[in-house]
Amino acid sequence: MKQIMGKGVVDGVCLASVMTLSEDIEGVLDRYAVSTIEDEKSAYQQASQAAVGQIEELIKNATDQTQADVLNAHLLMITDVMLTDSIEAKISGGLSAPRAVMDAANEMAAMLGAIEDEYLKERSKDVIDIGKRMVRIMLGISAPDIAVGYHVLCGDDIEPSMVANMTSEHVGAIILGQGSTTSHAVIIAKTKGIPTVVGLGNHIDAIENGETVYVDGETGEIIISPDETVKVRYQERVAAIKAMAKQYDAIVDQPSVLKDGMHLPLAINVGNPTDIDSMKANGAEGVGLYRTEFVFMGKAKAPDEDEQFEAYRYVVERAKPHLCVIRTLDIGGDKPADYLEIGEEANPFLGWRAIRICLDKPELFKTQIRAILRASHYGKAAIMLPMIISESEVLDSKALIDEAKAELRTAGMPFDEAIEVGIMIETPAAVMQAERLAKVVDFFSVGTNDLTQYTLAVDRGNPKISDRYDYFHPSVLYAINMVAAAAHANGIWIGMCGEMAGDPLALPVLLAMGFDELSMSAPSVLKVKYLMKSLKVDSVLLDDVLASRSAVDTRARLTHYLEKIKLKEEIHEKDY
Amino acid sequence: MIQKSYTLGNKLGIHARPAAELVKLAGAYESKVTIVAGEKRADAKSLLMVMSLGAKMGQTIELTIDGPDEADAMQAFDTLIGNNFNEA
Repeated sequence: MKQIMGKGVVDGVCLASVMTLSEDIEGVLDRYAVSTIEDEKSAYQQASQAAVGQIEELIKNATDQTQADVLNAHLLMITDVMLTDSIEAKISGGLSAPRAVMDAANEMAAMLGAIEDEYLKERSKDVIDIGKRMVRIMLGISAPDIAVGYHVLCGDDIEPSMVANMTSEHVGAIILGQGSTTSHAVIIAKTKGIPTVVGLGNHIDAIENGETVYVDGETGEIIISPDETVKVRYQERVAAIKAMAKQYDAIVDQPSVLKDGMHLPLAINVGNPTDIDSMKANGAEGVGLYRTEFVFMGKAKAPDEDEQFEAYRYVVERAKPHLCVIRTLDIGGDKPADYLEIGEEANPFLGWRAIRICLDKPELFKTQIRAILRASHYGKAAIMLPMIISESEVLDSKALIDEAKAELRTAGMPFDEAIEVGIMIETPAAVMQAERLAKVVDFFSVGTNDLTQYTLAVDRGNPKISDRYDYFHPSVLYAINMVAAAAHANGIWIGMCGEMAGDPLALPVLLAMGFDELSMSAPSVLKVKYLMKSLKVDSVLLDDVLASRSAVDTRARLTHYLEKIKLKEEIHEKDY
Repeated sequence: MIQKSYTLGNKLGIHARPAAELVKLAGAYESKVTIVAGEKRADAKSLLMVMSLGAKMGQTIELTIDGPDEADAMQAFDTLIGNNFNEA
């Protein structure tokens, strides 16, 4: 039995044997004998037509619009002049038909992959997908037959058309070495409800065809050759998932309270303004983090005050009567906007970003502040400053906020005079200065994603070390606890808006630290709200967790704690 | 030949689905349809070229239509882009 962890992207559990997806197209290609240019061209034409036929068949069997859209895009790509011209030219130049198709597809994929857009980068896989489809036809290789039996599909990556073709009847789960949440394959897996774990890296090489695995698409846990206890756990999880869905539906409109009735607001994180629609649907109260980058990115010039105002008002109005915390521009070399002229940086996460840019470009900053202030008139807004490392940054920002307020007063534009100004706690510098900073702001919000990265000096995007990135590391917990204590000692409120806030395992310790608000992605709200009902603020637990010696140790302590609570609940229910 | 500029108002810009809609529409007309976005130029009948423009929300694109049915084509593109590619 062996456990490996990936990133769970589609919820659900599965226990089944593995079907590996590796195939040796390159090897067969190398052995392929080239015929005349005319023959190769006609081989390509036939393969292209056959591929179109296959995809049309898949479209007929598609069960929803997303799959059909992806497959329709594949049809357009196969007959695309840019691709066909490139293939014909390569064949005329002496390449074999399958080699020409594969090379052309790889070139197109590289071109799409070079665009600074995660979504389009993923589309490059669709080009490879159709290329491989044509090559398989020409070489007489059949794609792995996934329509028999019941399997966990395992590979480095998977072609979107293969996912489109599968049903949950035959495919119990998908586990991938690569893959991101925005890949077509994952999007389709989501619509089909097939549990999926990605980002397993070279761990997948250790998984043999036919081996039994347990997959948990929620936690990202995979157990190879599980023993009887895991099998029992699987049965329990299946039953529990069914029961949970019912329970979650029942609490959407209930307040988020602890066992003793104490109220703790759960808010959502918003990127795209329309994300606000999921606040009500998930029974959340307000917005704990509105990322304004969306308004700034992908534009030729900075958005003007009115454009920003509309985007902020949209969310503030819909969050009403709850608070909407708007974070000022958090942009840097990793998510560039050309007009800011950030330029290439060796180390964008330690570079010219966020508040540093804003204070260097006060007009840009003040335009945003004025837009936020104007939006504050339409509900309850707060201003949150990112990436703070010094008190002077806060004081300089507040001076600019005062200037913006004065300008609006002169212009006769209404805004909330009592608007709160807070800061993100995401640098070790801010943690160490928390006492001082708490005296000059109205609230703190802990951004655990960056705080973990900066505290542990681990780049969370680097797959070689991403297993070392863990907010349950004692140093991160220690930092968060220090900040919470400093906030309360100075009479300000503290929230959290990183991924940790939506992690049920972290909930007991966050309650014990005294967090006043938790902000998370909308799908996590009901999970957290449900668990809250059985928890109380427990200072004994806090001492226990702060004594943890490693992230693994912390997880074990918290898992044990939650299991104990659950057991108590069950006994209580029986007695009742 | 007719030319017209648009500012993309849909959330996704010209992503896979909007790009496919655009290409399908271009394919329905005999005229040659060219899109220019920034420094890149694309034949609107090629999905790969249109996607590689990487055009995003707020960006301005210029459409050039040249051919016997250019007036009808321009009207159809007006509707598609004006309706934000029928994005929900």
